[in-house]
Amino acid sequence: MARYEYDRGIVARSILATGVVLVSLIIGLSSCGGEKKGQGGSMVDRLVLAAYTVPKEAYEKEIIPAFQKEWQRKTGRQLVVEQSYEASGAQARAVAGGFEADVVALSLEGDVDKVTQAGLITHDWKANPSRGIITRSVVAIGYRAGNPKNIRDWQDLTRDDVEVIYPNPKTSGGAMWCVNAIYGAGLKTSEAARGKADSVQARELLKQVQRRVKVMDKSGRESVTTFERGIGDALVTYENELLLRKLQGREIPFVVPDATMLIENPAAVVDRNADKHGVRELAEAFVAFLHTDEAQRAFARYGFRPVSPQIAAEFEDAYPTPPLLFDIEYLGGWTKVRVGLYGPEGVWTQITYELARDQ
Amino acid sequence: MGFGRKNTDTRGSAARYGDLGSPFVLRAIAVGYVGLMIALPILALSVRAFGDGLGSLWDSLRRPDALYSLELTVVMALAMVVVNVVMGTLTAWVLIRYRFPGQSLVNTLIDLPFAVPTVVTGLMLVILYGPQSAVGRFLSSNGVEVIYAKPGIVLALLFVTLPFVVRSVQPVLMGLDREMEEAAATLGANRWVVFRKVIVPSILPAVLTGAALSFSRAIGEFGSVVIVAGNIPMRTQVASVFIYGEIESDNPQGALGVSVALLAGSLLVLILLSLLQRIGRSRDA
Repeated sequence: MARYEYDRGIVARSILATGVVLVSLIIGLSSCGGEKKGQGGSMVDRLVLAAYTVPKEAYEKEIIPAFQKEWQRKTGRQLVVEQSYEASGAQARAVAGGFEADVVALSLEGDVDKVTQAGLITHDWKANPSRGIITRSVVAIGYRAGNPKNIRDWQDLTRDDVEVIYPNPKTSGGAMWCVNAIYGAGLKTSEAARGKADSVQARELLKQVQRRVKVMDKSGRESVTTFERGIGDALVTYENELLLRKLQGREIPFVVPDATMLIENPAAVVDRNADKHGVRELAEAFVAFLHTDEAQRAFARYGFRPVSPQIAAEFEDAYPTPPLLFDIEYLGGWTKVRVGLYGPEGVWTQITYELARDQ
Repeated sequence: MGFGRKNTDTRGSAARYGDLGSPFVLRAIAVGYVGLMIALPILALSVRAFGDGLGSLWDSLRRPDALYSLELTVVMALAMVVVNVVMGTLTAWVLIRYRFPGQSLVNTLIDLPFAVPTVVTGLMLVILYGPQSAVGRFLSSNGVEVIYAKPGIVLALLFVTLPFVVRSVQPVLMGLDREMEEAAATLGANRWVVFRKVIVPSILPAVLTGAALSFSRAIGEFGSVVIVAGNIPMRTQVASVFIYGEIESDNPQGALGVSVALLAGSLLVLILLSLLQRIGRSRDA
């Protein structure tokens, strides 16, 4: 019996000890959270940036350090930018679901709309000269060194000897840019040839390219990695992603087709969060900074096409405008594209069904 | 009536521990814990799923890509289970009945899939069988596609579920009464008959447990499969990847049907298993 009593002591004490540890952990963690949120009094300002993954290098290495310097010069205060990088759609959902970012920089307008629909952005974020867009790019086709499969245009991606890689438009908002580009190129080329955009021809082009797709990764970044692992002959992705690889010394040669899609990436202040954290002025200064010549040049060095006309002119040689470039409005805007291409009855969705039946 | 018996057992030992181990409190804690950690999240999903009525749930299931992803998942998981049952039982048998150098290493390796992040599993398979490796090039030059095709999915599932059959069969084999086998042998049964009539019946429940656990684990597997499968809708997209895609494209309703189907499938297999085991036990008794 004595032994059992001894055991009971151990059990009771370890339960107590675990309880104490747990409680102190909880208290510790919650007070940490409190510290993060608190602004007043300290000499350090904090800004939470929720961005998509593609411009990570540009923000980390150039934009944020430059803005920190500028902020210090203007206000004499230090600035810490807490940065989160996620796939654009996931990031938008996180912010809409309660991740308290003061500024969002996302891949597409529709993702900013998600944050607006959650009631967090209350101002008209498109009410500025560049309509809320901070960077641009185009959809390009990467190929193997020496171009053994002679890939020059979308039509080459339909050939039986070519395997194509692009991300899944269901999981990657960015992948929608790629699929839009192929479909839109079909419209644009038929329009250039016969004066009228032919949606049947566009659909057929998309179907024939989709037929040659070997792997659909979750995100654009992953597709590039898959291509680098030696899979596929052609990679459909953003020009800036390919230019970034070049910057990192892992060049993937590419071609920008004559008819391709203009990618436009927005950024906006998240009103509710910025006000809650008392950093509205800071958040607005940051978004304004993204439009300055300095930031636009930095983005351009990292492979993005500048939005500002002057800076775009500076970089004209590096970024020639494709003759049949079109933007999302050409396809009827995001709302129409989401339903018309990717909805249950959408062109892309139906194509995947048809391809399975044809096999 | 086993329930009542268990009850008195608990009470007997609890009395010795005093009120700390009061059976009611203990039971409440255990039930509450399982409820909080497992039943509650499932309940939350179910409320969401059936919230819009059965109609929209059914609609989300009826889409061809949803149905295809479910079918592919089940077929791949069944293929994995067949291999796992045969090879897992064999492995357990060898580990228990034979002694060989490196045995303890093999025994340790078996648990490794539990510790390896599934994304890493996928990556390992791509490195091994992908087009950049000698193995991958050899296979593809002979017309065998592994990565970004169905064999890759089965391989990934086999890796993540390998411990289940081995680990559930091993202890039973260890506890097996070898005198029974010897008795059967002296009575003239050859090795095959001994295996069929003596060994199989006693390890069968454990094999089934391992099979059911690995099946349930496999139909929900995401991390490794999303890397090796290729994820082409209606070709190589499994259910978990389909669900992920629907959630990512802001159509959680579309994901619910398949989620509920997977959950129901798992649950059904586990219930069937416990029924089978109960029948087995009552036959023994």
